Amino acid sequence: MDKRFVVGIADMKMARGDGALITYALGSCIGVCLYEPRIRLAALVHIMLPLNMETNRKNPLKYADTGIRETLRKMEEQGAMRSQIVAKIAGGAKMFDVPGSGNLGNIGQRNIESAHLVLRKEGIRLLREDVGGNVARTLLFDAQNGQAVVRSFGKPELVL
Amino acid sequence: MKTYEELNGLELDAIREIGSIGTGNAATALSSMLGKEVRITIPEVRIMGYNEAIDWIGGPEVITAGVLVNMSGELNGIMLSVQQMEFVNMVLKHMVDRTVTCYEELTELDRSALVEVGNIMISTFINALCGLADISTRLTVPAFAVDMQGAILTVPMAVFGGQSDYIMTVGADFICEGRQVPCRLLLSPDIRSLNFLLKKLGVLDG
Repeated sequence: MDKRFVVGIADMKMARGDGALITYALGSCIGVCLYEPRIRLAALVHIMLPLNMETNRKNPLKYADTGIRETLRKMEEQGAMRSQIVAKIAGGAKMFDVPGSGNLGNIGQRNIESAHLVLRKEGIRLLREDVGGNVARTLLFDAQNGQAVVRSFGKPELVL
Repeated sequence: MKTYEELNGLELDAIREIGSIGTGNAATALSSMLGKEVRITIPEVRIMGYNEAIDWIGGPEVITAGVLVNMSGELNGIMLSVQQMEFVNMVLKHMVDRTVTCYEELTELDRSALVEVGNIMISTFINALCGLADISTRLTVPAFAVDMQGAILTVPMAVFGGQSDYIMTVGADFICEGRQVPCRLLLSPDIRSLNFLLKKLGVLDG
């Protein structure tokens, strides 16, 4: 893995062939890996919230719905075929258990549900996932073979 | 409604003053818990983008402890105490007479001590703020997590992510026994509360 691109929060990057993508410390956020095996094109988008309800939509990559759609559009621009694209997702944890504050705790869960829904609507097959729980995850995505690796605190690495 | 990045100099000064009084009170509380003199440096207010904030706190993957309290009432938002290793050991040394080299070594007692210190610092800070601005708010019981600091910091970001692309932090460093220990108290009011607070302080422009 020579080229490793870091994907920030509300950010998306693509890699082709021998590149790799990494996004750090997903809490309630979700990392969506999209892969087109035929041309070995990998895209990783780090979304933070389930639905884009901003009026001017200046930051589509912050949200699961617009983020995934925007990423698929960019992949198609690079020659990806929609029917070939597969997905793997990780994240959506609940970092703090605060009694009596409903909204705070379930952002992760809502992100998971939204990501599932958007992928299904867009006709993208979800191959593997590592979601929920209460641990942060670092997600590494290899464009060579479409393999995703999840690293968490105090747990062994998980290959998706 | 003004968002974080639209605040002018006067409004930032008012927030900085709150930070100074809040952190000062938190330092006094900490000092009486540790039985040591704790002073603070000049406080600062930072308005940062998400990824900038993660760099500021010292990188995403570093493990840290966080105490989080939710506020609701006239002031809605989150307050977070990010306890990095240096701070953890300063607390443990004086309260339970031991230190640790990594977060895995924390015992149940250590964790309780850290939650309590975080909770008292946050409550003192909010109390001072509410007294100054003459507002009232309710705090939840504290929640505690040990994990990657990037993920802990994104909690307030995600809660207000629909309102702003920025996060505001208020705070100063502590000086205890001649050592400067970063105090990471993060006050994140929602946008409406921020405006209400500035109005109460009489500095909201327009």
